[in-house]
Amino acid sequence: METSLNINFAGIELKNPVLTASGTFGYGYELSDLIPLSELGGIVTKTITLEPQEGNLQPRIAEVESGILNTIGLQNIGVKAFIKGPLKRLSKIGIPVIVSIAGARVSEYIKIAKILSMQNGVSAIELNLSCPNLKKKIICHDLCLVSEIVRGVKDISKVPVIAKLSPLVTDIVEIAMAAQNSGVDGVTLANTYPAMAIDVETFKSKLSTVKGGISGSCIKPMSVRCVYDAYQSIKVPIIGCGGIMTGEDAVEFILAGATVVSVGSSSLISPKNLVKIICGIENILKRKNVNSVKDIIGIVNRSLV
Amino acid sequence: MRQRFDEDYEIIYNRRVQSHYFELKIKVGDVYKYCFPGQFFMISVPGVFLRRPFGICDANDKEKSVSFLYKIVGKGTEILANIKSGALKLLGPLGKGYDLESSTALNSDAYTYVGPGNNVIVAGGTGIASVHFLASRLKKKGILYYGARSKSDLLHLANFRGLGWRIILSTEDGSEGYKGYITDILSEQLESRDTIFTCGPVPMLKEVFKIAKGRNVLGFASLEEKMACGLGNCQGCAVKIRGQSKMVCKDGPVFKIEDVEL
Repeated sequence: METSLNINFAGIELKNPVLTASGTFGYGYELSDLIPLSELGGIVTKTITLEPQEGNLQPRIAEVESGILNTIGLQNIGVKAFIKGPLKRLSKIGIPVIVSIAGARVSEYIKIAKILSMQNGVSAIELNLSCPNLKKKIICHDLCLVSEIVRGVKDISKVPVIAKLSPLVTDIVEIAMAAQNSGVDGVTLANTYPAMAIDVETFKSKLSTVKGGISGSCIKPMSVRCVYDAYQSIKVPIIGCGGIMTGEDAVEFILAGATVVSVGSSSLISPKNLVKIICGIENILKRKNVNSVKDIIGIVNRSLV
Repeated sequence: MRQRFDEDYEIIYNRRVQSHYFELKIKVGDVYKYCFPGQFFMISVPGVFLRRPFGICDANDKEKSVSFLYKIVGKGTEILANIKSGALKLLGPLGKGYDLESSTALNSDAYTYVGPGNNVIVAGGTGIASVHFLASRLKKKGILYYGARSKSDLLHLANFRGLGWRIILSTEDGSEGYKGYITDILSEQLESRDTIFTCGPVPMLKEVFKIAKGRNVLGFASLEEKMACGLGNCQGCAVKIRGQSKMVCKDGPVFKIEDVEL
């Protein structure tokens, strides 16, 4: 029996449900010697801002048990340089490219989205509404602001708009609903969790910004829960994200309600893990006699029809 | 030619050199051909989340091997030191090595760099590993300035002697060579025509840079930063190079001394 991994996410046709997670795959095209990029479901780029950003001071990375804390600070080359260089090369790979964007204010989000949605090779825009590294409070803590950004970007965007949400909110359903009601085409659940680690030799925080975002296998059960809760209430499709290391992990997210998944920390350890995860999903579906990955979205605690 | 590999490779040995220092030798097949001094591998250690970066200490064409020199400094290296056989996951060779004119040649024996003065290597602690590979490839031998805490922290001295390098040592406790910092002696002896190749802890590098910049000495430094991927993707290992944010893993780890802002 042939098992199909094809999936449609918010109108974008993907050959399989595995995307790279923003900020973990560079600009994407530089790894062609290590993995066959065209075999991925799609690429979500690192977050792009209007102007280039230098990023935070060292140290930016701290390893913890089964995970990693980071405070990169959105280092990127800015939207103009991104279009001239990386975007051109990314669009040659032949798979959907979702560009992650962030801004310091609503008008910046709109401006970047306007520029990007006029370009060839942009399949969708992912709004980074949850980067916990900017010193100001994160956007997801303000429902009105989330709505304002989504509406503003949706008004001008010619491509689907996805909102990447922070898991550190009182009610993930409420924020996902707010994004949906403002017209978003899909949501990514979830970003890293605000976290902190301290060096007991120096008595200092292990990150230059004191706190950072935690990712890796240790956060997976919490993000699976976010996806499950949101899936019960929202209609727009979900990109599940958080600590996916294997095909099993990816299938967990899909069973909880994710239409597709994005993989971050695991591909930092080895880009090849992305391909292994795709194979892993396929193997599970075959073993369970599932025809299509579509058939298992959100069916946890229910039986296959 | 530049090529990177991400596979499982067999351990030839992983043995104690002295005190807390270990040498890990891996059979890598033809991968050795793509290894240049200053480059590194990311090595998976079971039981810790991220891979660890290790500078290449040597690449051997007869055994088709690469070797690494490391010190037990934490959980990862402690676990690694206890793995004596079997396979390890290696990703590499990564980064840009010592920027010599012939570094693009496949034949890494062609390190025929000839500056107007002496080739001077300045190493501190386990920084000796990356310059060891360099010393074995540089055709024109020179002087190694090598500082460590104590006599038991000085590594691979016989190798450097065997390669024909003059060795000047210092230890902080005076148990071998000059008592004090290696940069004190370097400062007295360095000539403006010399070329520096350096790797070691940040305080030492800062002092080497001050000396080199003060005398307009050409030099190359291999830097170290915490990194998650080794490929330029996580952007964790940023350093300031001529006012710009660059990645140690991808744009380095070796940079021109005059460009580095530590």
